[in-house]
Amino acid sequence: MRIGYYLRLALKSLARTPGLTALMMCAIGFGIAACIVMLTIYHAMSGNPIWWKNNVLYAVTMDTWAPRAPFDSDRPALPPPQLTYRDASYLFQSAIPQRKVMMYPIKGVLSGAPGQRHPAPVLTRATTADFFAMFDVSFEYGGAWDAAADRGPDPVVVISHEENERLFGGADSVGHTILWNGHPFRIVGVMGGWWPKPRFYDVINGAFDKPEDVYVPFGWGPALQQLPVGMVACWGDTSHDTYAGFLGGECSWIQMWVELPNAASRDRMLALMNAYAVSQRKSGRFRRPLDNRLTRVSQWLAEQGVVTNDSRLLLRLAFAFLAVSLINTAGILLAKFLRAAPTAGVRRALGATRAQIFLQYLIEVAALSLAGSGLGLALGALGLRAMHWLYAINTVDNSGYQELTHFDPAGLAWALALAFLSTFAAGLYPAWRIGRLPPATYLKSQ
Amino acid sequence: MSLNLRSLTSALLRRRAGAVLVALQVAIALAIMVNAVYIVQQRVTWIVRPTGIDVTHLFVISSSSLASRPDAGHAIEEDLAYLRSLPNVISATASNSVPFNLGGNIGIWLRPGHQGRELNPRYLIMDSAGLGTLGAHLLAGRNFKPEEIRPPDTADDLGDFVSELIVSRAFARALFPSGAAVGKVVYFENDRPVTIIGIIDDLRVARASASAGDLLAIFPSLPSATSTVDYLVRTRAGERDAVMRDAALHLADSNPDRVINWARPLTFFKWNADAEDRNTAICLTVITALLLAITCLGIFGLVTFNVSSRTKQIGTLRAVGARRRDVVAHFMVENAIVLTTGVLTGCALALAVGYWLSLRYGLPRLDLYYLVSGVVALWVVGQLAAWHPARRAASVPPSVATRTV
Repeated sequence: MRIGYYLRLALKSLARTPGLTALMMCAIGFGIAACIVMLTIYHAMSGNPIWWKNNVLYAVTMDTWAPRAPFDSDRPALPPPQLTYRDASYLFQSAIPQRKVMMYPIKGVLSGAPGQRHPAPVLTRATTADFFAMFDVSFEYGGAWDAAADRGPDPVVVISHEENERLFGGADSVGHTILWNGHPFRIVGVMGGWWPKPRFYDVINGAFDKPEDVYVPFGWGPALQQLPVGMVACWGDTSHDTYAGFLGGECSWIQMWVELPNAASRDRMLALMNAYAVSQRKSGRFRRPLDNRLTRVSQWLAEQGVVTNDSRLLLRLAFAFLAVSLINTAGILLAKFLRAAPTAGVRRALGATRAQIFLQYLIEVAALSLAGSGLGLALGALGLRAMHWLYAINTVDNSGYQELTHFDPAGLAWALALAFLSTFAAGLYPAWRIGRLPPATYLKSQ
Repeated sequence: MSLNLRSLTSALLRRRAGAVLVALQVAIALAIMVNAVYIVQQRVTWIVRPTGIDVTHLFVISSSSLASRPDAGHAIEEDLAYLRSLPNVISATASNSVPFNLGGNIGIWLRPGHQGRELNPRYLIMDSAGLGTLGAHLLAGRNFKPEEIRPPDTADDLGDFVSELIVSRAFARALFPSGAAVGKVVYFENDRPVTIIGIIDDLRVARASASAGDLLAIFPSLPSATSTVDYLVRTRAGERDAVMRDAALHLADSNPDRVINWARPLTFFKWNADAEDRNTAICLTVITALLLAITCLGIFGLVTFNVSSRTKQIGTLRAVGARRRDVVAHFMVENAIVLTTGVLTGCALALAVGYWLSLRYGLPRLDLYYLVSGVVALWVVGQLAAWHPARRAASVPPSVATRTV
């Protein structure tokens, strides 16, 4: 078997220069490892966790900001990412969207549980019934509340898998009552482990934070006069002395998403928003150029800057590092193969074709690629562990940055392909060069 | 010196593909190294930049009231009185926010009626103990008087009830580039006037690279009791953790109508604010160090290999009269030519990368000092890597030339 013979020759050749072989393997290994680490993180950061609904889910924004300056001077083209209470309430009445949600993070305290000495803070989201169906939240027990509970508002609550573990040891707690902000709430649903990364539905208040542990019907916010705990942006001289004043003022703090099944419904929704904005202008609002938007998830994530510049920078650095590693390897292989030219000359003289010489050295390259890729994968896994540790000690406890460092098993395939192909490409030229050498030169005796 | 440039270059040209690869490797390595070191140096400068705050001796307890008590303000004053009565506490104040974790900013106008410029400083609301608790130095003007501190209103809008403020030096300069700011009147969004009564040294209260990070305004008020109150407590050296533990327990027990969200040292928040800069600096350093190591090992390996594959030629050179040091010189000069080509190409590449980074990420333009240092460093290290194999070459005896292959 010729391939087997070439492989034996290749291994012999690699073993003849153990230092160079080790050097090339390390170069390839570290280059690949750096790329694996940075790509894994970048990939996790830039992912669209609900890609299957990318064409039907839209973030709703309207530019209600002050006439004199854009909302964000660093990104002047963007309207505020959240809505005012009155605009959100108006748009929420529309029957155009198949599903719709308005929501905000709210102060939450759980108390009265057995064995609980002090009330404990709990991350809570006030939201509307469609939240769960719209964002494909899975349920372990029970389910969402119905739309009537939003209007009530009914004292019903959905809790996360983790909260259910803490409070009820993971048992089916549907029907149990817990004290939320001092009021009894009946549990109607326990979510399955749900953690979209990034947390696309609220990237403003921590794109990689864990989702909230408690969800209450939206109406409870105004009913209990609860201010948002997330981002609030106000302008204008509206009085905020009272909760009613806050609700009626130019403060944007409500996140709104709609599910629009087709282009026609999207156009109708946008037309509704534009007509509303124009009618509001009569009362002196919407004084900036008309800028109402329905933004798809993928574009929303891009616009809101979920992927940090630093992670882009590090990704590029990793690829530049890999390039240097490969050039390094190519240089060494070239020198090595050229030294073997007399041997190749003899083999040519004995009847080997150029293609056969090329193939023989290509097999050596392939063997090296394989070894380097293996080393790269191992080092990459180690590197991800190191990054996990780095993020874990360096970020706030509920920020999910360290969750970005998990080696994604599906990614193993592309990492291996990248490693093997790139090294192979680096060895192509040296193998081709030696195949092209005229044998006669190397057969002359000195 | 029998160093023959013509024979040298012809030797190089015979293996020009190899030489080009090494030069290319050096060029890319230089471009990466110079820019990476520059970025790391910036990040480190940001992280170690003084904060102006007594960070290590401060801790924060975050408390939220459960019920809207009408006497909520009284509860804050009770808590403050308790905290200030503790033997190892130097000073304590109640605020709306935590340095390094400040929520938002506020619009301040230079002239009434939304005329003139608007600035958006970050802000804290604190009582007259605030400056002492942070450890901030008053540069001009005065601190708040106790009677100026507004009680914890239910209102959330500062503009409705505050009429004095203290500003950071950077904010004062941004408002009034030429001239004193103390005593000047500026305006809230709702056109209410507010007088600057004091200027403090700049406090770093955010991630150092954050925009408008140094613009800070401090308002004389207790925080709104219906939302979250952050108690900032400055303790004696070495007592922080013990005081924090006891105080958090006491506060949790003293009032059943509230919840203690957390109690944390201020270092926690500074650590978090700097996390991204620190992580980036660490990653850049590791990758750049590996890159440099790989490049040097590559040069070392290649020169070693070239020496061993040219043993016979070296022997011939020696046999026709070349001295040992001529052989060393041959390899060193050969390496130097490749390195020089590499670093020169690398300079152009480094500048291009630096320019691209400044355009793409708004980083400051590459400082030429770094480029020059990088060129010298890489050239010297590259020559050092070739030194050992070149010496080995010199030890090849002339008799090798007479042996057959």
